[in-house]
Amino acid sequence: MLSDDRILQLALAAVENLNQELDAGQKLEVSPDMPLFGANAVLDSLQLVSVIVDVETSLAEALGFPLSLTDDHAISQSDSLYRTPASLTAYISSRLQSAGK
Amino acid sequence: MQPLPSSITLDGTFVRLRPLRPDDAELTWSWRHSQRARFLNRGAPTVAAQREWIRTLPQSEFNFIIERTDGRAVGMVSLLGIDLTNSHAETGRFLIGEPEAVRGIPAAVEAMMLIYDFAFNALQLVRVWGTIAGENRLMLKWQLFLGMREEGRLRCHYNLEGRLQDAVVLGMLAEEYRNCALPRMQSLVQAAGPAASAPAVPPKEQLNS
Repeated sequence: MLSDDRILQLALAAVENLNQELDAGQKLEVSPDMPLFGANAVLDSLQLVSVIVDVETSLAEALGFPLSLTDDHAISQSDSLYRTPASLTAYISSRLQSAGK
Repeated sequence: MQPLPSSITLDGTFVRLRPLRPDDAELTWSWRHSQRARFLNRGAPTVAAQREWIRTLPQSEFNFIIERTDGRAVGMVSLLGIDLTNSHAETGRFLIGEPEAVRGIPAAVEAMMLIYDFAFNALQLVRVWGTIAGENRLMLKWQLFLGMREEGRLRCHYNLEGRLQDAVVLGMLAEEYRNCALPRMQSLVQAAGPAASAPAVPPKEQLNS
């Protein structure tokens, strides 16, 4: 079982990875509550995918099995899981708990 | 084969694709010469040359401006080399030129979703392909996540950023589009707000009129 702190670390690391690809003037201020996607967001959809891919990859390595962040379960959330690193963490934690992982 | 009408518009929830016009020359020239376009070739050397390039684009190509629904132009994308005999086409000239205008908006994803829908459903193609500079890691990651598969690599194919780079050849089949790419793109479009409906595409008979 991954702790919420560990999941958040993975999410923030994914944003840091994205930062390495951005030009100097585009660097993001990384925090748990930064608005990733949706209203007042800092990412475009190309950058969001980079974060999703890196989080999914890190999760698969840590858990030993894949967890999709764009499958039917993820889509069906009434509140977007991509709003912030914290909301992404809450979604992943909730999903792991409900799966007994 | 009858000529394909290059004047169509494709409407999505957040963006529409409308034909590239000569009066887009100044804007698209500025995009093509920005740092963000460093992985594309520089294109026309002047705005006048860009206008002439647009004016003389083959009628067999679909060259689009990506517009937000409020009419603001934010990027460009094309469907090229349409081969109905062999049922394939190439996506290219894909560029978000106004990144500030698309933050939080799935403009890039929906633009690509509209292009794929047009290629696979309206034109009923079997394969769409494209090349990406090997150092364009964000775009590679994005395209692979959205369902493209790496089919090969053309070594030292592009002279960009002052050095030769490989061209990564990516391709997607219609079945892969329906089973993998489309659900992922729909989920990303939905992530931005109200659920997106299926993109509107003209029926095939209209394309041949």
